Amino acid sequence: MTLFSDTRYLFVRYLKKLVRNPILLFFSLFQPIIFLVLFTQLLTNFSKFVVLPGGSYIEFATAGILLQNAFGSALQSGTSIVLDIDSGYLQKMLVTPVRREAILLGRLTSDAFRVVVQSAIILGLAYAFGAFVTTGVIGILLIFFTIAFFGLAWSGISLAIGMKTRSSETVFAIGGFLTFPLLFLSPALFPIDFLPPWVGTVSMFNPISYAVNAIRVLMTTGYDWGTILPSWGVIALVALVTMSLTLYQFRKVVR
Amino acid sequence: MSDIITVKDLVLVYGDGTKAVDNISFTVQDGEFFGFLGPNGAGKSTTIKVLTTLLRKTSGSATVAGYDVEKEAGAIRKVIGVQSQETTVDGDLTGRENLELQGHFHQMKTSEIKQRVNELLKLVELESVAEKRARNYSGGMKKRLDLATALVHKPKLLFLDEPTTGLDPQSRSTIWTYLQKLNKEDGITIFLTTQYLEEADKLCKRLSIIDFGKIVASGSPTELKHEVGADSIRVALENCDKDRAKAKEIIKTMSGVSEIIDSEDCINVYAKNAGQLIADIVRALDSSDIRLSSVTFSSPSLDDVFMKHTGRRIRAEDLVKAPSAMFGGRRR
Repeated sequence: MTLFSDTRYLFVRYLKKLVRNPILLFFSLFQPIIFLVLFTQLLTNFSKFVVLPGGSYIEFATAGILLQNAFGSALQSGTSIVLDIDSGYLQKMLVTPVRREAILLGRLTSDAFRVVVQSAIILGLAYAFGAFVTTGVIGILLIFFTIAFFGLAWSGISLAIGMKTRSSETVFAIGGFLTFPLLFLSPALFPIDFLPPWVGTVSMFNPISYAVNAIRVLMTTGYDWGTILPSWGVIALVALVTMSLTLYQFRKVVR
Repeated sequence: MSDIITVKDLVLVYGDGTKAVDNISFTVQDGEFFGFLGPNGAGKSTTIKVLTTLLRKTSGSATVAGYDVEKEAGAIRKVIGVQSQETTVDGDLTGRENLELQGHFHQMKTSEIKQRVNELLKLVELESVAEKRARNYSGGMKKRLDLATALVHKPKLLFLDEPTTGLDPQSRSTIWTYLQKLNKEDGITIFLTTQYLEEADKLCKRLSIIDFGKIVASGSPTELKHEVGADSIRVALENCDKDRAKAKEIIKTMSGVSEIIDSEDCINVYAKNAGQLIADIVRALDSSDIRLSSVTFSSPSLDDVFMKHTGRRIRAEDLVKAPSAMFGGRRR
């Protein structure tokens, strides 16, 4: 009971911080939006050469761009915990009876909420460019669920790095270093058939591929549970690893 | 009166081998205003971190409000208020929100929090800026808000780690007034650390002087100063290295001199009749061809107590510039 209410108050705290620093929200939306506008305009003719699920390139690429955004936001999660450690605010919380788990949960739930809001903005924009979600409202909700779940799993990495290194720069550097290889070695922006065979092989081991495929089928084809459920399984596996790392580091920080 | 804090043979060694707290023992009574006086790095903050359940001790034992710091950390957190050395208010939240959130951390009822927050805003005189974001507060205002956040749940014991470091004199004396009020009127036990002599002297009923992780002296400020016993005369020589031994020989024979120690100035002489003795010292050294650069005397201060036990001065004012006094005026 206290865990729930403690989490709620910390969730609200993080949301207030986010809303009051709107620049942060837009800063992380900036790149996905550039991608959305630039790539889809540059590659309008792409669909003439390659058969794309969904028909148009924008319909195809939106899933990848949603993922890219989720990835970028998740990697900011770690910087916020570094800020709380540096400022002493974490210690201020730790000398109170507040539930320790709530400190992490409040952070993670607000991250999930944030990435859903950002995804809604991207989906709205994509709609304006002519990309529809075939599966309708329920499909959109499932997309949000997949993205939030994916975001949580990757937040774990940045949180663990943040608590381990206590440096926002390191979190950003490692995050930036990971983003592009993982994104381009997956079907996020180009269909696998179009890419060299080795990329296809690598992408099978890239967790991003699975998340992208789940979102893509929801957008373009329909409720293809044979793609969606395994994708959730992969995300759950990633989450298990990153959350274990996060909890391990968190225990060290909170003694 | 019962002891609210008991510390016995406490040792804390950090991971890198630094012995921050080196076998200290002390007790604080319920309702007392107790202080740790010492320079930067003396082990003050570390002791507070152990007592407030943030750090695990290496050895020894400690209880706070009757609870063991190791086994009953949860119970301790409910009854203590803590103000850490860094000012930790959330700049993105308003003053009121900072206080309310702290109430929620203590799992208080929302109605209870509302009332308490109003009381506290009044106490620390931040009512008029309560709805402004704390980011825009001056350094002194942030410290006052920080102090108030430590009080939301009406703690019976308050830990203050250098509550006025970096503040301008006016903000400092405002904080002092609150603290005295909290201790006298509300009966809150206060454990304060400071590197300011004046602060320790003015506020603490009893204090321990701490240096390099060890307690070097304990007692009330008056007792401690009385222990030094005498006025101190600081004798600075032009050529200290060469003349120090000879000068000490000469001064030692004079009547009324109780102790002579080496100091940063050169020599410190403790004597009952300092005023008279100055003239004798000047004459005697002069006739022995020892050139003086200055002679000053003062009644015993806590600095002399520190000096007597460590051979050094605290000099907090030199070490800590007051950043908030320079940048604190910025408001929007």
